[in-house]
Amino acid sequence: MELLRYTKDVFGQKMLVGVNWELLWIPGAAAGLVIVVHFLLRARRRAR
Amino acid sequence: MRSDQTQTGVRHRWPDRAFHWVMAATVIVLTGSAFLPILGIRFDWVPIHWISGIVLVVAILFHLVRVFAVHGFREMIPGPEDIREAAGDLAGRAGGLKPAKYDAYQKSYHWASAIAVLAVTITGVIMLLKIDTPFWRRDPSIMSDQDWGVVYVIHGLSSLAILFLVILHVYFSILPEHRAMLRAMIAGRGPLFARGNTHEQD
Ligand code: HEM
Ligand code: HEM
Repeated sequence: MELLRYTKDVFGQKMLVGVNWELLWIPGAAAGLVIVVHFLLRARRRAR
Repeated sequence: MRSDQTQTGVRHRWPDRAFHWVMAATVIVLTGSAFLPILGIRFDWVPIHWISGIVLVVAILFHLVRVFAVHGFREMIPGPEDIREAAGDLAGRAGGLKPAKYDAYQKSYHWASAIAVLAVTITGVIMLLKIDTPFWRRDPSIMSDQDWGVVYVIHGLSSLAILFLVILHVYFSILPEHRAMLRAMIAGRGPLFARGNTHEQD
């Protein structure tokens, strides 16, 4: 999956336009993962 | 974290609490206005986005004045004690740490979000020249298209970092063991130290 988005300018050259928004789910999923791991470790620590 | 009643006082004064909540509101509006259209919820997001962006810029300038004129940097600067704290935490040991207003995790979060928010606001201010508003006309000629691409990439990557950081920040701030800190950010009074004293039996 590409990190960045490009278009072609009037001369047909590759031109940078921004971030590829297909990646938007990654920070959400990464935060969700940290939350789940923290929550499980926290539960284990409390059980002891 | 156990909050020791003997060390409560005013943790955050009202101008700093006002700053925090204005910043929080603008960051949430900025994130929502930028990402909801990408997720397919269409509305006229650009005016909402640039106006709250300018409010955020003013809020950050206010915060910097408070830091330089009133607080100083000392309490937010990372040091060897923070490494000791994080290492002890990973090894399952706690205690024996010098008292500090902010713990190692709060400092890390502060600096990560400060860098990301500065990157997004500096590029955002430049991008104001890509849009028409009642106050100025767009003028993209200040930079080449390639340089505009770089500005948009920095704005986009830092906005993704902010999304990640803010979700985690809200999760940690609503945990019951951090209730005293949440109360301090709302009403002012709370534990003066997040580390040391209070941490011993964590
Ligand atoms: C938490 C803070 C912010 C987030 C998450 C955010 C996010 C975004 C995103 C995702 C875009 C779309 C970029 C693209 O199409 O590649 C965007 C565009 C833009 N942002 Fe932000 N932004 C933030 C703060 C700001 C600030 C502080 C300003 C101005 C002071 C600003 C001004 C703009 C402008 C002018 C655009 C371009 C609109 C256009 O090209 O039509 N943003 N922002
Ligand atoms: C509903 C959303 C939010 C809640 C409930 C919340 C809650 C809190 C609380 C309770 C504190 C105080 C911690 C302490 O006393 O040490 C705090 C501090 C802080 N907040 Fe937020 N906050 C929110 C949104 C945000 C946003 C959007 C940002 C910016 C990206 C932000 C940046 C910070 C920073 C940099 C600190 C200082 C570092 C720290 O103490 O952890 N907050 N927040």
